[in-house]
Amino acid sequence: MKREHHHLHPNPQYTQQEVDPPSGGSCSSAAATAGTEKTKMWEEEEEAQDCGGMDELLAVLGYKVRSSDMADVAQKLEHLEEVMGTVQEDGLSHLASDTVHYNPSDLSTWLETMISELNPPLSNYDPQPPPPPPPQQSSVTSLSIDDSFLAPAESSSISDVYSSSHHHQQQNMNTPRVFEDSSTDMYNYDLKAAIPGKVVYNNSSLNQAHNIDSSSSSSHRNKRLKLKPSSINGPFGVPIPSESSSTRPVVLVDSQENGVRLVHTLLACADAVQQDNLTIAEALVNQISFLAVSQAGAMRKVATYFAEGLARRIYRLYPQNPLDHSFSDILQMHFYETCPYLKFAHFTANQAILEAFEGRKRVHVIDFSMNQRMQWPTLMQALALRPGGPPAFRLTGIGPPAHDNSDHLQEVGWKLAQLAETIHVEFEYRGFVAKSLDDLDASMLELRPNEVESVAVNSVFELHKLLARPGAIEKVLSVVKQMKPEIFTIVEQEASHNGPVFLDRFNESLHYYSTLFDSLEGSLNTQDKMMSEVYLGKQICNVVACEGVDRVERHETLNQWRNRMGSAGFVPAHLGSNAYKQASTLLELFAGGEGYRVEENNGCLLLGWHTRPLIATSAWKLDCKPAMLAL
Amino acid sequence: KEKRPKFCINDHVDILIEILKRLDGRSLGVAASVCRLWCNITRNDSIWEDLCFSHVSPSPPRAVRPVVVALGGYKKLYMGCVRPVQSRLGESERVGRAWTRDVEVQLSLSLFCVDYYERLGGGGGGGGGRFGGDASASSLMFLCKPVNV
Repeated sequence: MKREHHHLHPNPQYTQQEVDPPSGGSCSSAAATAGTEKTKMWEEEEEAQDCGGMDELLAVLGYKVRSSDMADVAQKLEHLEEVMGTVQEDGLSHLASDTVHYNPSDLSTWLETMISELNPPLSNYDPQPPPPPPPQQSSVTSLSIDDSFLAPAESSSISDVYSSSHHHQQQNMNTPRVFEDSSTDMYNYDLKAAIPGKVVYNNSSLNQAHNIDSSSSSSHRNKRLKLKPSSINGPFGVPIPSESSSTRPVVLVDSQENGVRLVHTLLACADAVQQDNLTIAEALVNQISFLAVSQAGAMRKVATYFAEGLARRIYRLYPQNPLDHSFSDILQMHFYETCPYLKFAHFTANQAILEAFEGRKRVHVIDFSMNQRMQWPTLMQALALRPGGPPAFRLTGIGPPAHDNSDHLQEVGWKLAQLAETIHVEFEYRGFVAKSLDDLDASMLELRPNEVESVAVNSVFELHKLLARPGAIEKVLSVVKQMKPEIFTIVEQEASHNGPVFLDRFNESLHYYSTLFDSLEGSLNTQDKMMSEVYLGKQICNVVACEGVDRVERHETLNQWRNRMGSAGFVPAHLGSNAYKQASTLLELFAGGEGYRVEENNGCLLLGWHTRPLIATSAWKLDCKPAMLAL
Repeated sequence: KEKRPKFCINDHVDILIEILKRLDGRSLGVAASVCRLWCNITRNDSIWEDLCFSHVSPSPPRAVRPVVVALGGYKKLYMGCVRPVQSRLGESERVGRAWTRDVEVQLSLSLFCVDYYERLGGGGGGGGGRFGGDASASSLMFLCKPVNV
């Protein structure tokens, strides 16, 4: 795990710096010198195998600590930290001048010694669990940290802290220090959060910390700010000995309130970014990160991805455009398996194509999304089983270039050919590599005359990428028209992520991806789920952080596509009831269909989660089909 | 007094087949454990064919058989697709939907095909990453997983 060491300063420096909460400026992470060891200890404790006597990992570093004593030692370290914090500035100097040095390798006893040395005023340190602070103005829930990120890890609400800190202005001029979070930082702050002690170092309030007195709960709250910038990537289950938390006052937080606050902060940050107000935006991004932690499940993940996108936009660390297609293919496969969206897309599109090809003896499908190879086995099988026997099936796949120069399109073709042979379907395959669809030209495809061969064109989640470049979509649509397809099936995300105003796009995509992530929550295979989330996270990053040609996830709504297709000369072909039936049955099969809804909208099918439609399948044919002889 | 010859079903295999054809999946499995003869009969794929399509009112076109056989046979179709599909859908409330069975069958066939496809080894090496020689058919896994209640 990466950690930021360079922000650790010895205690005395805190008193000098003031951090104004709303415009965070350059916040630096705070920890006492003992804190380094403490965090290190916690980290190692997490990693330590239970290996009998001495803890192995610490032994490597020269510390002799028994594994069974770990929790105890950790507590003592924290205690020491507190002690050192309370001691007045000159109180520590004797440590420097003292010629007695204690050997810290036996950590336990060393700590004891240090504590007793520094410890005159702390005789009232009470290791028993304090009475819980009486409910203050905002509602509170109890802190319990389980082992995985799924547990609601609460942190106190920022506004409470800030309000109490203002209240204490006369007592201490320090405002709580905010941990810096760079969203790409892998610092495992989870550990810090597990320590329900001080993360904010506020000198005078530290004194109060040890007067475990319920009446000073407001000062408790001041300290209880668990600043926990989260790391972006996935779960970090830390087996935290939460038993030690019983000796500390606990923070109570309302996570639902935090959820609302989180959304507001996200939007505020986006607004700041739009207005180019980057200092505010930066502070808000930090806030988002640790507010996100207070949420559980989908909201947390969505918030972290959006925070990452915003951070990239603020710091201008634009993501490289996805060049590694094999990786994104893998991600897409997991997405395919985790949730029914892609399956729905394939089945409905196939149904439309099947119906359009009725009675034809030779059919040709041109697939713009050849990375979606799972669509074709089922079409082939349906063609094989259709009454009257299968037609001759020709497939032209168009896909992006593979980074490792492997001919993945040919591999797919080979597998399909094997399947075709097994089920006795005459099959022909051709793969085209094209960096972008508008590089295509109808003449490249070697189309045969229409009476001989019927054409269908298929595009799943590909057309919106063309909107990044002016003129591209028009060119592609005209090329499609040249192919004279019987049917053109389009599956696209049902969302408006291509508006001119950044804030609107942000808002829309926040709701869209929240819904999408919610629907993923029910899936049981955690690895698949995680990969799907990464897949979607990349899309989020693209929508939020990229601009211009790089921003390829330019989703548009069904109506927008209808207009576009209409003006390009296509008329809608209604998806029949068979498609609807198949889609509904498919959804029932999948997780009992809970939450997923199929809707029919003027001949198009929409799949959504509860009330929110998420993807739309539509089919189009040419406006007028001139009676033609082969031209 | 003339003793009537005892009737032993095992002497009349054609009748036995007719009877076994009408059993449901579980009973067929049980029947397979009765004796060697019965076991051999149940191994015969055509018995499973009726099991798969008995509910479909117009029986499926003849073209189906070679396809199913080529993709792995009726028993596999039943065990892998038809049974999970039926049991999964049977759980949910379906009121008067006559078309459901047809769609179920279609879906089962599609999934069966996908399963076969996924098990295909890679062609010119690799075969698309995880599908190359992957024993477990990922697309059908969702059928095996417990449904979120």
